[in-house]
Amino acid sequence: MLRVESVVKSFGGFKAVNGANLHVEAGEIVAVIGPNGAGKTTLFNVITGHLSPDSGRVVFKGREIGGIAPHILCRKGISRSFQVVNIFSRLTVFENVQIAVLARERKTFRFFSPVRNMDAEEVHEILRNVGIYEKRDVESDLLSHGDQKVLEIAVALGGKPELLILDEPTAGMGPEETERCIHLIKKLSDELGLTILFCEHDIGLVFEIADRVMVMVRGGTVVQGSCEEVRRNREVQDAYLGESG
Amino acid sequence: MKWKYAVPLVLLALLAALPQFLPRFHIYIIAIVLLTGLLATSLNLAIGFGGIYQFHHAVFYGVGAYGTALMLTRSGLPAPLCLVAGPIAAAALSLVMGIICVRLSKLYFGMLQISLGSLVWAIVYRWYSFTGGDNGIPGIPVPEWIASPEGAYYYILAVTAVCMYALHRIVRSPFGKALEGIRDNPVRSEAIGIHVRLHQLAALVIAGFFGGVAGSLFVVIDTSVFPDMMFWTYSLEVLVMCLLGGMYTFFGPLVGSSILVLLRTYVSVYIPYWHLFLGIVLTLLIIFLPDGVLGFAVRRFRPKEGRLA
Amino acid sequence: MGFLEILFSAGTLSQILTGLSRTTILFIVSSGLSLILGVLRIPNIAHGSLYMIGAFTAYSVISFLGGGTFAFFAAMVAAPLVVAAIGFVMERGFFSYLYDREHLMLLLLTFSFALILGDLVKIFWGTEFRSVEPPAFIQGSAEILGLPVPYYNLFLLAVGPFIAVFLWLVVNRTKIGKISRAAAVDAEMVSAVGINVGWVFAFTFVLGCFLAGLGGALIAPMTSVSLGMDHSLIMEAFLIVIMGGLGNVWGALLGSLIFGLSQSLGIMVWPQFGIVFPYLAVVVVLSFRPRGLLRSVW
Repeated sequence: MLRVESVVKSFGGFKAVNGANLHVEAGEIVAVIGPNGAGKTTLFNVITGHLSPDSGRVVFKGREIGGIAPHILCRKGISRSFQVVNIFSRLTVFENVQIAVLARERKTFRFFSPVRNMDAEEVHEILRNVGIYEKRDVESDLLSHGDQKVLEIAVALGGKPELLILDEPTAGMGPEETERCIHLIKKLSDELGLTILFCEHDIGLVFEIADRVMVMVRGGTVVQGSCEEVRRNREVQDAYLGESG
Repeated sequence: MKWKYAVPLVLLALLAALPQFLPRFHIYIIAIVLLTGLLATSLNLAIGFGGIYQFHHAVFYGVGAYGTALMLTRSGLPAPLCLVAGPIAAAALSLVMGIICVRLSKLYFGMLQISLGSLVWAIVYRWYSFTGGDNGIPGIPVPEWIASPEGAYYYILAVTAVCMYALHRIVRSPFGKALEGIRDNPVRSEAIGIHVRLHQLAALVIAGFFGGVAGSLFVVIDTSVFPDMMFWTYSLEVLVMCLLGGMYTFFGPLVGSSILVLLRTYVSVYIPYWHLFLGIVLTLLIIFLPDGVLGFAVRRFRPKEGRLA
Repeated sequence: MGFLEILFSAGTLSQILTGLSRTTILFIVSSGLSLILGVLRIPNIAHGSLYMIGAFTAYSVISFLGGGTFAFFAAMVAAPLVVAAIGFVMERGFFSYLYDREHLMLLLLTFSFALILGDLVKIFWGTEFRSVEPPAFIQGSAEILGLPVPYYNLFLLAVGPFIAVFLWLVVNRTKIGKISRAAAVDAEMVSAVGINVGWVFAFTFVLGCFLAGLGGALIAPMTSVSLGMDHSLIMEAFLIVIMGGLGNVWGALLGSLIFGLSQSLGIMVWPQFGIVFPYLAVVVVLSFRPRGLLRSVW
């Protein structure tokens, strides 16, 4: 479904992404792991159109998408959540997801229809799926951090994506919340059939649910394969896993 | 569900009854309160709901007023056309200024708008032959059916009510929601498919239009225009009204403008150092009511929801 | 006269010199505003009022000391200090508690201070115009290319660069200046390193107010000291600051030059619409360099 080929992206003289490769099949859960500063977020930014690649290709469902602006790209079936919580702070949980749905349905230039209950069913369904339905009327900046990260994902779901890209979904979470998040990701893949690409620090978590793993070090792809293959890979062990692998 | 319409309707009825027992001067003041409230509400669409730093909104007020005034005094066209021409001119100017400024964000947008607006003001201020220069245009011929104080008042009440209703619908529409999203998080808005600049431009044009309507209403009640209407300090005042009343509520700006206009009219007569008084009141309000008057009221009485319905 | 003849005549030079002396005042006041906006991120609407207080205070000091050279220089020192003290009270007494508030509310606060200070001037000094004579040694006019140029204007022209250099030294070469610039970019970081950011902010704000007072004091002999001085200046100062780059002293100088000169030349070339030219200049500059001509601090 998604293919990233030899993408390079530099800032000034610094090559944040240096020849990264990635491919994701439909229905898979793929994880990108790597030490801090390996370029994971930059790669995600390139894939989702926030940055243009200097060279290399990003291909989604057979079409090149490198350099397409985010607000156009999200209509093609890719939605993304962000590492730092990126929600609409003064709006309620319900409204946060509702906006995403309205945007997807191109209703945002309707000036006179009341928006209060528009698409409520769909929004409620998404909220139930991620598990924050009870808090739907709470102003989102009053939520706990864990709930906000879940809302983060819910907003991305509002775009009815085929490919869901999650940037460090468990960042800043405690062990309980992390468990919850991991289960959510599994559930989204199993029950809703979403293809999920995410990046993470915690390798244990990744091995729990990922179908395949891509390891990034210093901007480049070291290896891409099943969890077993990655675990056994010498380079990865040296660079990253140490003894805990 | 229906009862929430009761308050505005009762208020409207009250306002309609006022000319029956209030002297002319007070009717004039109430009319000013109404149109200033519309002006502040139109600004708040951009700044409170859109998060756009609209720092020189008074330009649209002034252009709306001058547009109507010039049409009424020079063009010989029928009055209703003239009354609409002002707001349309204001909306057009808003579109042009918006296209120039909208690619900037926050403070820089505000500053470029101030400079463009000041340019417009300077031109109006100096163009004696066309705009009357620093004298403005006195004695504008207003059509008979709104020339009397009561007639003017009812016209202003009607137009203000309709415009406020329209603005309310806009704020509670998908467009309004998208605008709030852009205010809270333009990056995320972009990421979910909202064309940020386009929506902001639309908001600016709407805000400019209704600001222009307020200006044309002023012409009706005052029969004059003057360049100070679009001087930057007045823009600041209108901004203050929004902040004072509560920037994140719909009726906040109306509350703020009412407070300011009424205080100025009735209190400044008794207090010689009126600005000092106002400054102290504002300072106290800022320290103790960070969300503005209405914002405070909403937070106090409706802790679960963030906003007034 | 034809356009070119106007441009290159002695009248032009005289106008330019007058414009430049006004530039000095604009620069001094704007640099103060720029520092406050750059480091504290406060759009200080009260800046114009502080400038006005500087002018009135200078008038009072000079009158009290009976005029003359000593009185003049005493006023040039005393007035900015008085204004700086007011600024200190404003910052320590109010702003320092409210930095975490909504940005625009801080703007509103400075607006209310402008109102308060404006009326305080009315209370202390009444509503009449005041005038101040330049000290004896710079009274009168020199003759340059056959046209009179007041010595005081030349004095201001000379003073300008000194103040510019002095400010630049303070901001870029002193420890406190460097800390201020760091705090403008990342106050939390500065605080984490153990520096009391509060005092840094106070210092910057007080310095900015000092400059506003100095500008007011310096302009007193050149113009009539009256209520309403604050209104016209504050908008020009803001436009200059934005044109020059937030927190950038040289930017304020450049902006003031552009603003002052375009006004003088504009009036000469097209007297009726002369005042339009500075605003046009600002629009043009901002259209191409929306963040200002020189680097902003943030």
